[in-house]
Amino acid sequence: METTSSQKNQTIVDRVVTRLLVDPTLGVLALLVLICLLAAFTLPVFLNGSNLYNLVNNSLVVMILAMGMTVVLVSGGIDLSIGTTMALCAGVTAAAMNFGLPLFAALLAALAMGALVGLGNGLLITRLGLPDFIATLAMLGFASGVLYIWTKGVPIIGYMVPEFYIVGGLTPLAGPLTLPMVIALLVALVLGGILGFTRLGTHFFAVGSSKTGAMQSGVRVERVRMQAYIVSGLAAAVAGIIMAGRNTNVPADLGNGYEIQAIAAAVIGGAALSGGRGRILGAILGAITLAAAVNLINLVGVPSSYQKIVIGGILVAAVLANRISAVVSGKVRQRKAMVLEGIPA
Amino acid sequence: MTERPALGADGLLLNVDGISKHYEGVTALDDVGLQVRPAEIHALLGGNGAGKSTLINILSGLTLPDGGTITLSGHQLDLRRASDALGHGINTIHQELSLVPALTTLDNIFLGREVNARFLGMNVKLDRRRMEERVRALAAEFGLSQEDLKLPVGEFGALKKRVVEIVKALAFDTRLLILDEPTSGLEEEERLNLFEHMRRLREKGVSLIWVTHHLEELYGLADSATVFRDGRRVGTVNVSDTTVDDLLGMMFGIAAGEFGSTSSAPALAEVEVESREEVLRLTDVNRSYVLRDISLTVRQGEILGIAGLAGAGRTELARAIMGIDKISSGTVHWNGNPVKFSGSSAAYRKGLAMLPEDRKQLGILPELSVSENISISSLDRVSRLGFVLKSRDEVSQAESYRQRLGIKTADVREKIRNLSGGNQQKAIVARCLNTNPDLLIFDEPTQGIDVSAKVEVHNLIREFVANGGAAIVIASEIGELVELSHRVVIMKKGRLVGSVDNVPHALVSGQFEAVKNRILAMSAGRTES
Repeated sequence: METTSSQKNQTIVDRVVTRLLVDPTLGVLALLVLICLLAAFTLPVFLNGSNLYNLVNNSLVVMILAMGMTVVLVSGGIDLSIGTTMALCAGVTAAAMNFGLPLFAALLAALAMGALVGLGNGLLITRLGLPDFIATLAMLGFASGVLYIWTKGVPIIGYMVPEFYIVGGLTPLAGPLTLPMVIALLVALVLGGILGFTRLGTHFFAVGSSKTGAMQSGVRVERVRMQAYIVSGLAAAVAGIIMAGRNTNVPADLGNGYEIQAIAAAVIGGAALSGGRGRILGAILGAITLAAAVNLINLVGVPSSYQKIVIGGILVAAVLANRISAVVSGKVRQRKAMVLEGIPA
Repeated sequence: MTERPALGADGLLLNVDGISKHYEGVTALDDVGLQVRPAEIHALLGGNGAGKSTLINILSGLTLPDGGTITLSGHQLDLRRASDALGHGINTIHQELSLVPALTTLDNIFLGREVNARFLGMNVKLDRRRMEERVRALAAEFGLSQEDLKLPVGEFGALKKRVVEIVKALAFDTRLLILDEPTSGLEEEERLNLFEHMRRLREKGVSLIWVTHHLEELYGLADSATVFRDGRRVGTVNVSDTTVDDLLGMMFGIAAGEFGSTSSAPALAEVEVESREEVLRLTDVNRSYVLRDISLTVRQGEILGIAGLAGAGRTELARAIMGIDKISSGTVHWNGNPVKFSGSSAAYRKGLAMLPEDRKQLGILPELSVSENISISSLDRVSRLGFVLKSRDEVSQAESYRQRLGIKTADVREKIRNLSGGNQQKAIVARCLNTNPDLLIFDEPTQGIDVSAKVEVHNLIREFVANGGAAIVIASEIGELVELSHRVVIMKKGRLVGSVDNVPHALVSGQFEAVKNRILAMSAGRTES
């Protein structure tokens, strides 16, 4: 009975604040609401329906990448090659279309390329024992080099067919709904389902949280890590397909800077670089928050070259917020444990 | 009675033969064997570095042996990874916890052995309800509630993690259960509960390999014991035919009685501490939810023992004294002056030092050398102009500690992770001594180290206070506290609930058991409301 009385002593505000700090997903939601409120008072254009619609639509590519990145982060890795892989897969899609392959074959080829790059990352890490950071950085180099040599620096063009305008979201599917929205939702459901409700998902968390513990429990740690990179490669491929459709041409530098945005969105959404923590819903909200922040500074009239600085700043803030949330939730737990053991406040 | 497992022609469940393992020139195991009969509890004994852990890692598929055979029920096994061993019904409770902090208790228990349900026609979705139903009764027996099953293991303390580990091993069908120091850190009740389970498993026909440093635990429970020393098998005996002294003799290669008889009164019995200088005084120290009205003093030349059950706030008290955790009210006097340490480095500068609990996680810097580990808290002693490290000084300083404390390593430039637990602990003691402290706090100084290393660590503590230092010792083993301390205070739920003064005097008059029981009663009893 002591429990209830001591909990009553906390004010509601106190509890709401604690809750926001403890749950990273709620934290990012609060940040998003804050940005919207800020914008509502200063720039009413921001809350304009078409602006919000464009904002969400524009965040989808980063969102899909961030979801793949979240899976890798949860399993204790990091994928720096995700942006370049996206560009490479966009190139494969475009080239396959130009080659005269039917649409679905071109899409399959892109997915296969994504999975292949992910497998390559996984092999470099588990077979050669390279650190994740180095292996995926090297892969970034390989993939972008291949794309440059292959395209000779000239953007791939001439592959757009009417269906492809739908794939890229340039032609809506039905009403305001675009195909990339549906695809992002599907990716979210599949990856969210895997992380939350399957053996593989549990193993991602286990490996990211404690490799030794997972290994001693009979988890095939290396295979699981490889699977995480294949997931992020596939996510990059899906994003690449959308990118090819949206951009209507594929330059070699199409993916530049996307790895940073993907990592930022995942981390804003509560994924921990140390592994074992992260959520698909968090990645989604993270991507939207990032897009909202960029959109807001665009509307204010800050030159677009400043965007990267803003993204960097938000990344720092998100990591700090994550750490605060970890500390606060540790304290809350401690308090709970003590209350359960009957130590009075 | 369940079905007995099929056996080999030799009537053995497990026959390990000719196993060797070498690491970069170091021989961990040299042609050892181990024979376990069906339905027996087989103790595996040996000092630190005897090779027990290596053999256990080989049996659980974590380490590949250089040579030799492992036969289970007449079938030769090829154990290449943990899942191979688990698949053959060999379950291990590792000393290093094999739990994953981010996962819930339930997911941890079933990690690697998840139960699936059908979803969209595919057998891919985890069936957490069924998993929970399967372990609920067993978990409850060990005091894990349904709520606990849904919490991440990272939120639990060391004790509860150990309990989860035990439940995890018991939850599945097992032919051979390996327990590596399963009782370390457990309270009496859980200990007895675990022993009961071990008996029941034996009745069911399961065999157990049991590693323990507490030899008295063996009697009445273990059937036979195999002793290892320095990577070789010394012999196998029937436990009922031996005494603790016999086993100690086998473990350390010396005749019984040569150990410093630890339960006799220490030579410090005559020390009259009352008149000595006060070093530390706490007055009404509070920390929300953790510590409540703590007042105590420590004098020069004194060892103050802190007893209490896990969760009583002992480690928290040590952390508050060191300034690692902030206190919310109350005062701390250090050498007569009020102080407020802003962090442990401030405390270190003033002459306090702490040997943290849980050596592996908090104490050692595994990738650094022994000498670097020793000098890390007082680098200015081996540096010039505040930043240049004089590595020769560092090495020679470490060398002198190696000789003084008897740290067993060929070279102090060796990485500390390659040392056995007891020697790592001695190196950490050396690190603390090297800061030249007036007060040293030892949090579980002998956890997980063998009997002879334990005696040596005890002697180090005694020597430290005999030379004018003061010490606070936190230990779960009450016997250890009584042997070591001049005075013992007892904590319960964040408060001091009693104290036993002049312990050495009581020991001289032969009241060891009486003192022990009094402390036990105070720390566990329902004395206050």
